[in-house]
Amino acid sequence: MSAWFFPEILLTLAGVGLILMDALAPEGIRRRIPLFALLASLGILAWSLVPASRVLPTSWLSLFVSDGLSAVFKPFFLLCLVVVTAMACRYRLEADETVRGEFLALPFFPTAGLCLLASARDFLAVFVALEMVSISLYLLAAFHRAKPASLEAGIKLLVMGGLSTGFLVMGIAWLYAGAGTTDFSRLLLTQAGQGANPAALVAAGLILAGIGFKVAAVPFHAWAPDVYEGAPTPVTAFLAVASKAAGFILLIRVFGLGAFALESIGTYFRPILLTTGIATVTLGTLAALPQRDLKRLLAYSGIAHAGFMILALGTAGEGGIGTVVAYLWAYLLASLPVFLFINELENLHGSTDMRHLDGLGRREPGPSLGFTLCLLSMAGLPPLAGFPVKLAVLANLWNAGETPALVVAVIMAVAGLGIYLTPIRVMYWEREADVIPARRFAPFLIWVMLVAGFLGVGLGLKPQWLARVAEKSLNPLPVVESIRE
Amino acid sequence: MNFSLTLPALLAIPLVGVVLIALGSRPKTTALWASVLNLIPGFLASGMVLRSGEILFGPDPIPVKEVFPVKFILGMDGLSLSLVWLTLIVALTAIGAGREGVKREKEYYICLLLIGLGALGAFLSVDLFYFFSFHEVALIPTFLLVGMWGHGDRTGAAWRMTVYLMLGSMILLLGLIGLFLALPETARSLDWRVLSETLRANPLSPGIQHVVAALLLVGFGTLVSLVPFHSWAPGGYASAPAPAAMLHAGVLKKFGLYGLLRVALPMVPDGWKEISWLVGLLLAGNILYLGLASLQQRDFRWLLGFSSAMHMGTVFLGLISGTVLGLAGALTLMVGHGLSAALGFAVAGEISRRTGTSWMRDLGGLARRAPQLWFYLMIAAMASIGLPGLANFAGEIMIFFGSWTAHPVLVGVAAWGVVLSAVAMLRAVKAMAFGSMSPAVEAEGVTDLKGVRETWPFAVLTLALLLVGIMPLLVYGPARPVLERISLP
Repeated sequence: MSAWFFPEILLTLAGVGLILMDALAPEGIRRRIPLFALLASLGILAWSLVPASRVLPTSWLSLFVSDGLSAVFKPFFLLCLVVVTAMACRYRLEADETVRGEFLALPFFPTAGLCLLASARDFLAVFVALEMVSISLYLLAAFHRAKPASLEAGIKLLVMGGLSTGFLVMGIAWLYAGAGTTDFSRLLLTQAGQGANPAALVAAGLILAGIGFKVAAVPFHAWAPDVYEGAPTPVTAFLAVASKAAGFILLIRVFGLGAFALESIGTYFRPILLTTGIATVTLGTLAALPQRDLKRLLAYSGIAHAGFMILALGTAGEGGIGTVVAYLWAYLLASLPVFLFINELENLHGSTDMRHLDGLGRREPGPSLGFTLCLLSMAGLPPLAGFPVKLAVLANLWNAGETPALVVAVIMAVAGLGIYLTPIRVMYWEREADVIPARRFAPFLIWVMLVAGFLGVGLGLKPQWLARVAEKSLNPLPVVESIRE
Repeated sequence: MNFSLTLPALLAIPLVGVVLIALGSRPKTTALWASVLNLIPGFLASGMVLRSGEILFGPDPIPVKEVFPVKFILGMDGLSLSLVWLTLIVALTAIGAGREGVKREKEYYICLLLIGLGALGAFLSVDLFYFFSFHEVALIPTFLLVGMWGHGDRTGAAWRMTVYLMLGSMILLLGLIGLFLALPETARSLDWRVLSETLRANPLSPGIQHVVAALLLVGFGTLVSLVPFHSWAPGGYASAPAPAAMLHAGVLKKFGLYGLLRVALPMVPDGWKEISWLVGLLLAGNILYLGLASLQQRDFRWLLGFSSAMHMGTVFLGLISGTVLGLAGALTLMVGHGLSAALGFAVAGEISRRTGTSWMRDLGGLARRAPQLWFYLMIAAMASIGLPGLANFAGEIMIFFGSWTAHPVLVGVAAWGVVLSAVAMLRAVKAMAFGSMSPAVEAEGVTDLKGVRETWPFAVLTLALLLVGIMPLLVYGPARPVLERISLP
């Protein structure tokens, strides 16, 4: 086993260590658990960035592989973990301070699962990794035991997650029945050159449905708004960014390049992906417009973003996959600060209703500016990071000659502007708020938000950086490369 | 001295102004200084362009491995020169006409500087990616300016304006994507020099040219308020605070026309020729429909909004004329209209601020109470009618002569448009000038423009209108080589 496996091991150890510390250590150390958690997450992120930790490409037991895609996405999940841990340190646990240690330790486990998922090259490994993610997330979503909304979120996530796992496992079973293997590259080899195998088609359909739940694609999206709204905000951030990205990695590995990348299956599934993409982007955008709760708004906007990415995947080919990778990074860099901001807002006011933004542009100019820039990046306006990636989606659709999808994408990109301009409008134009002007944001938020906002501007002006990440994720091509071994 | 640095300086100075204001320096003073200082690199750069007659480039971008084919290159040739100057002058006067002590002063002047910055960046970008991006940079400040400091139905106007402009931009973006992807893989670039060279040597197939030209027409046309995509314009301008209307109607709208001159005409010439019948139809709509609508306006700001959208029709006539004379006229009218619209909105803003109304029927007797304001109002009205000696006349007459052989009927329509515009404007001027003094005008505290501090923006715009009117060569002379290359045979 080589060094690239270390983030997962370290994450699990850190999670277990934190829980033990919470249970056994004396009070003086227990109070420092937030600090330890933050340091641990930062340390693992730093480790994953050390070039020596990434030997490309190697595989282990033909279950896991370290390739460009996993090298690009492990830091992605670890960065998520750092921000989520920071949010969890600050999150108000409603007089239940004794559980802070668990709240901080739990996110380490799904992150380990996601890192495994990024390297999985076999459906069995995928399944194990996914379960590792899901079970911890059920716990986290229902973490406010006293709050009905949080419990509702936990239950919904549990039921929907169970259903999606059911689809996935059923699909894997069909696949195994048809092809006799669950290994991505062997699937690709055995299927190549044959016509479409009905068992494989059924399997692909079921697996697509299972992943559809994860990324909240229409018609499997209905859980997202309620769960996002009810779950504690750090958990919402994790679900919205990391969990969604995991779904896309699977889509890339399975439908983009891996098991089902064959023409015989692609001809059936490209139209399905495009149709799903059109429906998802339309529903997400239109449903986000009237929302007044920021977490619900972000849930629908996340659905819309998923739609854009599915459309890019629906065009097939490396261009679409690179686009999705760059899109996910741009989405991460814009939405994590947004969630951080919302977390602080909730700390001050106890809810995430948009009316708390009233007059904020004047009271807190720095964080408001950063928040505005991040929202505009999500809207895909130049010169922010969201623009080149949306441009790439449109260019892919044009190149593939998918005119109806292109038209819908353009219209929804414009309508989507309304989603993000609404909070901005509330911050800057609404009547001066007379609500609790005395409460101020913590000073760190100014710098975090400004750095995040201007990072978005930098990436928008230099889209080459995002493009290089995309290029790197495909170099060497995931799975395909390992056939040549 | 390295003149290539003047181009980034043109963008850096307003940006420094924005940062200084954000950090707490006095908003209006800082914004004014930034705009005045920006004239220096403007002079230096245009001096270089005029002397060498070639494109002046900004410093070379640091070469990166090309994974995404965009490069941040700035460049200025004869065509961008006049538009850069239009931006510099209108930005300066718009900030000069901005009020001191307006609510949220900081954000107000930051937004104004950002609109100017976006326009300058768009006119100076050689790479179409940045050309497009800079224009978008100006959209959000416009949205905030109309929404926060506007009057009347400002929320509705701001949303309508933003949605229309965004939709136009996206359609235009599709046109650009189509253009890019239609090129052979090896020749793909977004650099307009490379694109025009490649496409002159190997034109695209007629089908693709047709599609791209149509997309560009609808996209850029929406930004320029071509009928039937115009309905954001009159209301938006009527609701916008005066400096925002000046900058948008004066400068930002010209981005669409500049884009047609820069992209559509040279890169898809056959497609553009093919759809020129459609352009002709729509521009007749602009001139006749909006001209008639402007006759019905009772509010001076709405009148200006309609008439500003209406004159775009005449510019489009120049663009489909296919002659150098017509194109030169279009460019001159773009500049002239930019200046006269800016002057008109500045005067309208002052009038409504002083009297509290912009209804023409409530403004009787203004000429006696505030003769200076009325004088500048006259200049703006006369310029927009096309009085000889002012810039718009030069542009219109060149367009009429230049397109007579190709489109005699449309020239007739455009001439009829001059009549309509004259009727509307003269009625407005008459209503405000004579008659008994209305209560709003007679009210305590209604004053005229006082001293150099208040009059200079108006005087600068008037002088510029006169200068271009008497010597239109200043505008189209430097651009002539460019226009000759893109004029259709």
